[in-house]
Amino acid sequence: MIRLEEVSYSYPDGTPALENINLTVKKGEFLGIIGKNGSGKSTLALQLNGLLKPQTGRVKIRGMDTRDPSKLPGIRKLVGVVFQNPETQFVGRTIEEDLAFGPENLCLPPVEIKKCVDMALAETGLQKYKYRSPKTLSGGQGQCVALAGILAMSPECLIFDEITSMLDPESGKAVLETIKKLHKKGKTVVYITHNLEELYDADRIIVMEKGKIRLEGEPESVFSNPSLQALGLALPSVIELAELLKTHGMVIPWEKTFSPKSFAEELCRLFLKT
Amino acid sequence: MQEPVFSYVPGASLLHRLDPRTKIVAVMLLGFLTFRIENFAEIGVLFAFFFALALLSGLPMRVFFRAVKPMRLFIIFIFLAQLFFTDGRALVSYWILQPSLEGLEIGLKLAARFILLLLFAALLTASTDPSAITCGIERMLRPLPLRLLGISSFELATMMNISIAFLPLLFERVERTKAAQAARGMDFVKNPFRSVPALAIPLLRGVIRDAEELALAMESRGYQGSRRTSIHELSMQKNDWKALLILALFIIFILVL
Ligand SMILES: Nc1ncnc2c1ncn2[C@@H]1O[C@H](COP(=O)(O)OP(=O)(O)OP(=O)(O)O)[C@@H](O)[C@H]1O
Ligand SMILES: [Mg+2]
Repeated sequence: MIRLEEVSYSYPDGTPALENINLTVKKGEFLGIIGKNGSGKSTLALQLNGLLKPQTGRVKIRGMDTRDPSKLPGIRKLVGVVFQNPETQFVGRTIEEDLAFGPENLCLPPVEIKKCVDMALAETGLQKYKYRSPKTLSGGQGQCVALAGILAMSPECLIFDEITSMLDPESGKAVLETIKKLHKKGKTVVYITHNLEELYDADRIIVMEKGKIRLEGEPESVFSNPSLQALGLALPSVIELAELLKTHGMVIPWEKTFSPKSFAEELCRLFLKT
Repeated sequence: MQEPVFSYVPGASLLHRLDPRTKIVAVMLLGFLTFRIENFAEIGVLFAFFFALALLSGLPMRVFFRAVKPMRLFIIFIFLAQLFFTDGRALVSYWILQPSLEGLEIGLKLAARFILLLLFAALLTASTDPSAITCGIERMLRPLPLRLLGISSFELATMMNISIAFLPLLFERVERTKAAQAARGMDFVKNPFRSVPALAIPLLRGVIRDAEELALAMESRGYQGSRRTSIHELSMQKNDWKALLILALFIIFILVL
């Protein structure tokens, strides 16, 4: 779906942000990207639909090179990005108008635009806010609107750049659930976060540091990698707990049970039944 | 919270359903008319015309008077200026002030014209979704060679829409920055020479960052500044042509009589 070959990028002021990134995002996968502040995650996100163009190497979306301006409308239709701050993603006076912005850019006729808007509202459960102003919504609802604004364009791939970092944990979880639902329906998802806890269910995780990919693999292999803490990342609390228990001689194999729910089930299995 | 001036009040009246272009043209024509009329009778007829349209819109009158209120000082000022500085038969004479009869007449007419202008504009904004107005303006500007100015009618319309949506965010940021500086002990009243830069600089930095993020989000959603459609379906219906015809007759009637 998306292929990056030897991509490097420095900002105009000379800050190097990405160095020789090779990455393939497969159709239908849930890819988690994690790394500490300034590791180049956002820069990578901007590369994925041509908002930034590589200085060396290339980014191809379904074979379309992001450096080819004539391909950009097609790329933006295929890959949508949701950003961190809901407030600076609103372009409309009402939710309806805001969601119409993308389809309007695709030059759809009014009837089609209305259909896209209603579809996006239904996917995110925002129907009853259709005529409200985006300013009157909570942060979590705001991010849902931003997500709906992308969905209205029916992209195949959704990129999320730290969209929960300005939300309280509760609404963050709700937004993440919506995203997981969309993934189940077949959308390709690239989910960028600081918080490993959000990536239990990812198909694959990439750890970035200083513009490079340092680790890559399935969640269990990344979570169990000893260099994770050296890269400035906190382990998910369940795994931290399992590790602490291990130092006390109580070994719970967490590799398959690192979500809180399955960990609890495993504990019960071990202690209640035996 | 204070209700905003010139705001849209949703509804389903005949006036709401007219094409925004019809209403924009009508307001322009009526604006032109208010400055062509000469006597109080005609002003009276125009006020009556406004009230008829206001009734048709089904909206409460305060929606329209809200538009006049912020301008009241200005209107009073031009009235007084005309009253005192027009030469003519003095009504009374007090010190150097000599309000004249001619001044009273001209002042009243001028004030009435401004009020009419504001009321007609309020009629448009109250009965039309702002983005429909910009959409209408866009469609009317499209045939013009704006390209020579380096801008397209689509960009212009988007700019207007974004400003409408973005302005509240700006005010909010002003408030937030003010609160943040006040929390650091900045006294805005006592110390304007230090407090104004202390407010303006972080504000500007914030606004620029907001604008950059917004531009990125817009581009990400496929915005290119070139041709785009709109969710608003603009089509001139029979009612639009009828309305324009009635308006034309009305204008001719006033100007000829
Ligand atoms: N507009 C910019 N101009 C110059 N340098 C920038 C710009 N944006 C980011 N950088 C720099 O590029 C590097 C990578 O930044 P990036 O925003 O991609 O990191 P990030 O992983 O998204 O960080 P965060 O977790 O804080 O969002 C950093 O060193 C940052 O200072
Ligand atoms: Mg970032």
